[in-house]
Amino acid sequence: MTLFLNQLINGLQIGSIYALIALGYTMVYGIVKLINFAHGDIIMVGAYAALLAMTGLGVPFYIAIVISMIVCVVVGVVIERVAYKPLRSSPRISSLITAIGVSLFLQNLAQTIFSATPKPFDVKISVAPIVIGDVSINFTTLITIVVSLLLMALLQFIVKSTRTGKAMRAVSEDMGAAQLMGINVNNTISATFAIGCALAAIGAVLYCMAYPQVKPTMGSLPGLKAFIAAVLGGIGIIPGAMLGGLIMGVAESMTKGYISSQLADAVVYGILIFVLLVKPAGLLGKKTSEKV
Amino acid sequence: MKKIALVLAMIMALSLCAPALAEDTIKIGGIGPLTGGAAMYGIPIRNGAELYIDQLNAAGGINGVKVEFVWEDDAGKNEQAQKLYYDFYDDGYAAILGPVLTDQCNVVGMLADEDGIPMVTPSGTAFDITAGKTYVYRSCFIDEFQGYVMANYAAETGYKNVAILYGADSAYSMGLVAAFEAQAKVKGLTIVAKEAANFTDIDFKSQLTNIKNAKPDAVFLPYYGDAMALILPQAKEVGLETIYLGADGTANVVENIADKSLLTSVVYSDHFAFDSDDEAVVNFVTGYTAKYGEKPEISFAATGYDAALVICEAIKAAGTTDHDAVNEVLKNISVEGVSGVISFDENNNPVKSAFVMGFDAEGNKHFVTRVDP
Repeated sequence: MTLFLNQLINGLQIGSIYALIALGYTMVYGIVKLINFAHGDIIMVGAYAALLAMTGLGVPFYIAIVISMIVCVVVGVVIERVAYKPLRSSPRISSLITAIGVSLFLQNLAQTIFSATPKPFDVKISVAPIVIGDVSINFTTLITIVVSLLLMALLQFIVKSTRTGKAMRAVSEDMGAAQLMGINVNNTISATFAIGCALAAIGAVLYCMAYPQVKPTMGSLPGLKAFIAAVLGGIGIIPGAMLGGLIMGVAESMTKGYISSQLADAVVYGILIFVLLVKPAGLLGKKTSEKV
Repeated sequence: MKKIALVLAMIMALSLCAPALAEDTIKIGGIGPLTGGAAMYGIPIRNGAELYIDQLNAAGGINGVKVEFVWEDDAGKNEQAQKLYYDFYDDGYAAILGPVLTDQCNVVGMLADEDGIPMVTPSGTAFDITAGKTYVYRSCFIDEFQGYVMANYAAETGYKNVAILYGADSAYSMGLVAAFEAQAKVKGLTIVAKEAANFTDIDFKSQLTNIKNAKPDAVFLPYYGDAMALILPQAKEVGLETIYLGADGTANVVENIADKSLLTSVVYSDHFAFDSDDEAVVNFVTGYTAKYGEKPEISFAATGYDAALVICEAIKAAGTTDHDAVNEVLKNISVEGVSGVISFDENNNPVKSAFVMGFDAEGNKHFVTRVDP
C-alpha cells in the first residue's frame, strides 16, 4: 500500500506538470485551431530565463519566476505575430509546419547561445518532506500539484467569466462574426498566446525544481507528452487537459513501478489509442460535426 | 585521353604502395564529439592527445618526421563518425584515435577492422568494440572490468545487499551491469532490486521508490554524469539513503549537479587519479595546465594522451606508417603511459590498474583505493 501511494504521488507530480503544459496547447488549439508545436520549447525558454535571472542577475527565486513569465510572454506573442498571424487564412497544415519550424528554430538558437551542455538549476527550498507513516510527500511535489490545480481553476475562471475570456470564446466560435461584433481578434489571439506562455513559464520552473537540469532540447519530451495529454482529455477543453495530464503521469509511474519501465511509454500511448478509438474527441470532448 | 588515363593509373598504383617514413608528415586522425552533450568527454580527450603530439613534435617527432594530428567533431552521432572515418581513410591516414563514445566506436571499429587501419579508442569501454578484432585497440579499461571492480569494492567494504538501476537502451549501461552481476554472484552479494530505465530518461522516481523499498546497502548506477545529476536529487526526494557505486561516466557529474553535498554518497571507478604523486602523472598535469589554462578534470584526458602515445610509439618501432606493420607492433607493445604501463591482452584490451574515487561535499574528487586486475 505504501509503495502504491508513493508511486501515485510520483505520478501526480509529473502528471501535474504535463497538465500545466497541456493547458497551453489546449487554449491555443481551442481558439485558433492551431497545434502550437513550439509550446514545448517555450518551456525551455522559460527555464533558461529563470536560470539566467538567478545566476546572472542574482535575483531571488520568486522574482526569477516573474522574469521568466515576462520573457515567455514576449517570446510567445512575437512568435504569434511573426510566424502564425500571416498564415491565419492559409490551410491549417501550413501553420502546423510553421509551428514545427519555430520549435526547431528555438532549440537551435538556444544551442548556439547556451551550448548543448546541460546546466544545473539550483533552487534551494529546504522544507522538510511531509511524512505520513511510510509515505513521504516532498514539498516540491506538493507545490507542483497545488499550483497546477490553482492555475487550472484560474484559467477556467478567465475563460468563463471575464471580458477577455468572453472574447476568446467568441473568436473560437466564429472568427469572422466576432470581428463584425467589434471584437479585436488580433488582441484576443495575442492574449491567448500570452496566457499560454505565462503558464508554460510556471510549468518550466516547476519542471526544473523537480528535474534540476536545463538544456536546449529539454522542452521536446514534456511538450510531446503534454500534447498527448491534451488530446487524451479532449483538445480545446481546459479540464480535459488537466485530466489527461494526470492520467498520463499516474499511468507512467504505475507502469514503471509495477510492470516495467520499458513499457511505460507503450502503456501511455496504448491508453491514448484506446481512448481515441472509443471516444475520438477525447475523454471530455463533445462530438461535433464538421461543417462541409 | 589515353595518356591521362595512364598517368592516373600510375598515380593510383603509386598511392597504393606502402608509405614509408620518407613523407613530410605522419597523419593521425581523431574522431569524437566537440559539440553536444558528450563534448565534455571529447574536448579533454582531444586536449590530452594534442598535448602528447605537441610534446613529441617539439622533441623532433617520430624519427625526425613531424606528426600531423587532425581531430574532427562527430557530435556523438554514428553517421557523422562514419563519414569522418571514410575521410581519414581516403586521405591515407596512418591510424585513427577515437571515437569517444561506445556506440560510435562500434561503428567505426567495424570499418577500421575491415579496412585494416589501426584504431585506438581512448574511452570506448564496451567489450565488443575490440573483441575478435585485429586492428582495434583501446587505452582505457573495459566496462566489464569496472563492473567487476565495483562488485569487488562493494564486497570488500561490506555491502551485502545491493540494488541496480540501469539504462536498458544503452550498451554502456548494460555491459557494466552484466559484469557487476556476475562478480556480485562470485562474491556472494545479494541483488535485492534491479530496475531498468531509459538512458535519456529524466524521471527516475518510480524506480527509485522501488529500490528504496528493497532497502539496499548500496546502489550500482552505471550512468553518465548528466543523468546522475538528476538521479541523486530524486533519490533524496523519495527518501532513499544509501551509497551509490558508479563507473567512469560518473566522473563529470560534478559539473552537472547543483547540490554538491549529494556527491559524498558516490564512489566510482576511474582510469586515473590526478592526485597521484607519480612523476609521469605530475608531468602530465603540469603540461596540460600550462597548455590549456585549466587542470585536466576527467581521466579520459589521460587515456587520450596514452592513446596518442601508443600509436606514435608503434609507428616509431615499425619505422613505417604501413597499417599492417604498425598493427604488428601494437599487438606486442609494452609502453609506459601516464595511466600506467600499457600492453594489450588477446582481446586488445589494456592490462592495467583501476582506481576507486570519491567526492567531498564541495565536489572535489579524491582517491579512495586501487583495484588491480
